[in-house]
Amino acid sequence: MSDYLDPTDSVAVPRTTARRAASLEGKVVTLLDISKAKGDHLLDRLEELLRERAGVRAIVRKRKPTFARPAPEPLRQEILASTDVVVEALAD
Amino acid sequence: MPADRGGLADPDAIETLFARGVTDGLPVVPPTRERVRRAIEATGRDGSELIALVPPNYGRATVEKIAINAVMAGCRAAYLPAVVAAVAAVCDDAFDLHGVSATTNAPAPLLVLNGPVRGALDVNCGAGVFGPGWRANATIGRAVRLVCVNVGGAVPGVVSMSTLAHPGRYTYCIGEHEEASPWDSLAVEHGFAPGRSTVAALAADAPLGVYDHASRTAPDLLATIAASLAVIVNHKMTHWGDTLLVLSPEHAATIAGDGWGKPEIRRFLHERLQRPVRELVPGRDGGEGLPEHVLRKFADPGRDATPIPKFRAPEHLKIVVAGGRAGRFSAIVPGWSFAHGSSLVFRAIDAP
Repeated sequence: MSDYLDPTDSVAVPRTTARRAASLEGKVVTLLDISKAKGDHLLDRLEELLRERAGVRAIVRKRKPTFARPAPEPLRQEILASTDVVVEALAD
Repeated sequence: MPADRGGLADPDAIETLFARGVTDGLPVVPPTRERVRRAIEATGRDGSELIALVPPNYGRATVEKIAINAVMAGCRAAYLPAVVAAVAAVCDDAFDLHGVSATTNAPAPLLVLNGPVRGALDVNCGAGVFGPGWRANATIGRAVRLVCVNVGGAVPGVVSMSTLAHPGRYTYCIGEHEEASPWDSLAVEHGFAPGRSTVAALAADAPLGVYDHASRTAPDLLATIAASLAVIVNHKMTHWGDTLLVLSPEHAATIAGDGWGKPEIRRFLHERLQRPVRELVPGRDGGEGLPEHVLRKFADPGRDATPIPKFRAPEHLKIVVAGGRAGRFSAIVPGWSFAHGSSLVFRAIDAP
């Protein structure tokens, strides 16, 4: 195997998922609309249900400029600094 | 076993590399130290030089990593400067490789080569330009795909979630048939000197053929082409961006015979490719249509005659002449070019 050089980037940083919140009670939840058609419909309903059932402290609505690209860094940092949980909606 | 035996020392070299999950489903050339050394040398650069971070994993595409993948793709060492330039182009933020590699849509980077590099590397610009048979076209495009997967992490079905994809994801590379074109090349139109070698990258769907054997004037032929352009993506998509029109030499000669240049073609097509709001309402002739935020601008969309363009501006219609000298066929290569999405990106190819 070592006869052949490695075509992959072996030093790429492995990605890990963030720890999941055990409960939404008293949490700040960001609902991120990725700008896909009808994403707002899905998030509107989700917001209603969260307010009704989950005992969240606050719900923040954010929107990516386009679904075709990653969220801009300032938006990611803003969400990271001000929220406990984020829900990103894919619609169509 | 010595490393420089061309992989022949390993009786199952091809299977070994399949087992490592680093191929595109076709056998690859074993990237031995000697082959990779020659490939790096052909760039005139240091192997450790960083060319780009490759989305979506942002792996480091050093000259050495690009060379390894190019060897695996079957590239001759001489192709390396073109491959390096192509990797830099697709990793430009304007290309949006993150979106291209991850989307459920089907784009693949189409590479268009211009300038002397076409002759130097024997790049096919003529008959069967999108097809098999030319090592440069086949392996330069394939090298970029392997970099996207092996360095960028665009593993199909894991990170790269295209519903259908298309065969251009194996390789997708053409040369412009500049010698058969009545006009400036794509690269010259975009500000490069005629003697400069360049690669342009377009996030592209598969080519859609347009057959027109009967038209003998520019307006007649372009009316046919416009009608085919009108339905790309879907028949009600509007405000689309960069899209490539590949005119065969015979079609180009017909248009140029009327004294038309590329600006006249673009203007004609852009003006013709507009539809009134009332024809673009969702639910009329299909569920697709103008998005809600656009419809809100009109008091009575179902009756409104305001024209809405298929393309955001004439400049988004990119034009090259390519293919064999015989045959009245052209092709549309739809870009994956939502507003704020991917755009055509150029890089000069630096000979070592």
